[in-house]
Amino acid sequence: MDLNFTPEEQAFRQEVRQWVADNLPKDISHKVHNALRLSRDDLQRWAQILGKKGWLASGWPKQFGGPGWTAVQKHLFEEECARAGSPRIVPFGPVMVAPVIMAFGSPEQQKRFLPGIGSGDVWWSQGYSEPGAGSDLASLKTRAERRGDKFIVNGQKTWTTLGQYGEWIFCLVRTSTEGKPQTGISFLLIDMKSPGITVRPIVMLDGEPEVNEVFFDNVEVPAENLIGEENKGWTYAKHLLAHERTNIADVNRAKREIERLKRIAKAEGVYDDTRFRDQIALLEIDIVALEMLVLRVLSAEKSGKQSLDIAGLLKIKGSEIQQRYSELTMLAAGPFTLPYVREAMEAGWQGDWFARFGICAPLASNYFNFRKTTIYGGSNEVQRNIVAQTVLG
Amino acid sequence: MDFEFTDDQLSLRDAVARWVDKGFSFERRHGIAKKGGHTRDVYRELAELGLTGLRISETHGGMGFGAVEAMVVMEELGRGLVNAPYAAGALVAPTLLAGAPDALQAEWLSRIAGGAALVVLAHQERNARYRLNQVATSTKKSGSGWLLSGQKNVVPAADEADAFIVPARLSGAESDTQGIGLFVVEKAAKGVAIHSYATQDGARAGELKLADTPAALIRDDGLAGLELAVDVGIAAACAEAVGVMDKLVALTVEYMNTRKQFGVTLSTFQALRHRMADVKMQLELGRSMSYFASLKLGEPAPQRRRALSQAKVQLGNSMRFVGQQCIQLHGGIGVTDEYIGSHYFKRLTMLEMAFGDTLHHLGEASARMTDTTGVFA
Repeated sequence: MDLNFTPEEQAFRQEVRQWVADNLPKDISHKVHNALRLSRDDLQRWAQILGKKGWLASGWPKQFGGPGWTAVQKHLFEEECARAGSPRIVPFGPVMVAPVIMAFGSPEQQKRFLPGIGSGDVWWSQGYSEPGAGSDLASLKTRAERRGDKFIVNGQKTWTTLGQYGEWIFCLVRTSTEGKPQTGISFLLIDMKSPGITVRPIVMLDGEPEVNEVFFDNVEVPAENLIGEENKGWTYAKHLLAHERTNIADVNRAKREIERLKRIAKAEGVYDDTRFRDQIALLEIDIVALEMLVLRVLSAEKSGKQSLDIAGLLKIKGSEIQQRYSELTMLAAGPFTLPYVREAMEAGWQGDWFARFGICAPLASNYFNFRKTTIYGGSNEVQRNIVAQTVLG
Repeated sequence: MDFEFTDDQLSLRDAVARWVDKGFSFERRHGIAKKGGHTRDVYRELAELGLTGLRISETHGGMGFGAVEAMVVMEELGRGLVNAPYAAGALVAPTLLAGAPDALQAEWLSRIAGGAALVVLAHQERNARYRLNQVATSTKKSGSGWLLSGQKNVVPAADEADAFIVPARLSGAESDTQGIGLFVVEKAAKGVAIHSYATQDGARAGELKLADTPAALIRDDGLAGLELAVDVGIAAACAEAVGVMDKLVALTVEYMNTRKQFGVTLSTFQALRHRMADVKMQLELGRSMSYFASLKLGEPAPQRRRALSQAKVQLGNSMRFVGQQCIQLHGGIGVTDEYIGSHYFKRLTMLEMAFGDTLHHLGEASARMTDTTGVFA
């Protein structure tokens, strides 16, 4: 048992740290460090910088053009990116659909789609949830009818994150109503420029159109865009969910954000109030415990032994921590988070109604926005079902 | 970064687990507790396994093992609800004696390693609560030696110990951080009076009164040594708690899969399943922070003290939640003396208060907070 990373891993960390310091645009990291609004351009610019280096595909094996990193190297890479203030990688392409294409796509599909994902040039969206299929995803109804060499898609997807920017969308669609709901689902890749697709932004409680409804009205999709076999899509989607278990805990971002919380608490004069400060200390302990949990999972992966049955816990704890730091950061500034000024969340805004207004402006919005974390990606109640299954059978 | 146990560590774990299985049934423990919690025989059996020399160097007849081995042993002793003062005698006391003059080390360490001597830390005072610098017990120079006077409270296995390690004031005011000496006091020494009693968790403790009692000085800069020893005690308590919780959760899972109400097993009710998911969360966060505690024992004092406080907060919260919820999930049987689970719960309750409770250590972790956060901060 050893807490420390190996000399090779530490050297790897240094290499990543230096590269990120040299290549992460300062205007982007400034926004991240201050929770300001990131534009499509900001997100894609960073994705393309990573793509050029070959690091956007950080989890890919070498044969598909990835760096072939171990789970530990990938963790260190993410930690260094978070620490430096890089935006989270928009996961739908490189993290979510790419592994499915690698595992179940044809060589032609791999050749056609993976380069654009790995370079960060093509923006992908996810078409899973529907108005009637949230946590109960298998009850989805968007239909795809096979007609010759095409599928005709009709229905509606929702909660499509940043779908307004999407160029392609991977969808779970119903191709059969026979048998159990899970057995009639297929995995389709759809060009979002296809006639019949309408994207309508949903304004969230923080005032931002972060997610969208996507409507499909007789959309023609070439049959060659079907991944694997018809009616096997649920299996492929589960493969996708099995990926990325430690990443969802997002402990590296939490470490950065609690440091911001401390800075704001100091500036607002509550860091020396033991009642407030103890709450930060409790959050810090939670973050250390979560990091230890993540490291345990990574160690189990590294040793090649049976993975620990604790992955389900990572999403629950990680999301609770995200909510808590956004909450405490808002509470640190207290009544000075009340003004709702959308322009103040843009970089370079020069409002001066009161001291440090620019710092306070995004705090309540972030808190509101983060209520999503215990809901998306399988609500925490669904996660508890999964954890209970591992404990009680 | 590696959290796998070596083959040697797994063998050690196995050896302790086998002894528990064969030699330390719940009936035996229950009988010991009912008769007042005397465990010197149990301690002797642990010594026969070689465990009392675990952390003592080979030059003094020990095995010279490290913090991870101690953690492994404590987890298994927790799982078996072993009520002998193992952590006090074999982990905390040798840590304190490591700072002693060679002659004093030679006098005690090999006897501790072999199990012939049980030496325990007697540091708690009535007005100190968890503050280690609050020391009222007084010292007086007498020829080449020292005489101690004062009272130490709730000393583990007080009437079964052969000697005590006692912090006493050499100079300064009661709460000064300087001027604290650490001494060895033998039970047979003049002026020692012990009033002992059973404890809530089936063991034994007592009051130690000293009246001009001769004592041997370990070191005169005692606070640093005391802090390290307490941190060793915290890591041991955390590891023991993990073992206790592991077993209590296993008992609860078994009960929920057998006990039927409304015609179905308890494990079919979602409200109870979600409670178990929360229990599992607290157990695994606790296990993670127990690893953290043991692995941070070798760090410089500021980082070490903060890490151990952070760990004790997590384990305190975990112990309380897991203990209370597992009793609740059992229903009526959980609050009876005959049921094994209630004794696991009582041990968890007392462990939360060992070497500083959750609020105390939250205060410590808060006071020691720096700008950065994380396992390596």
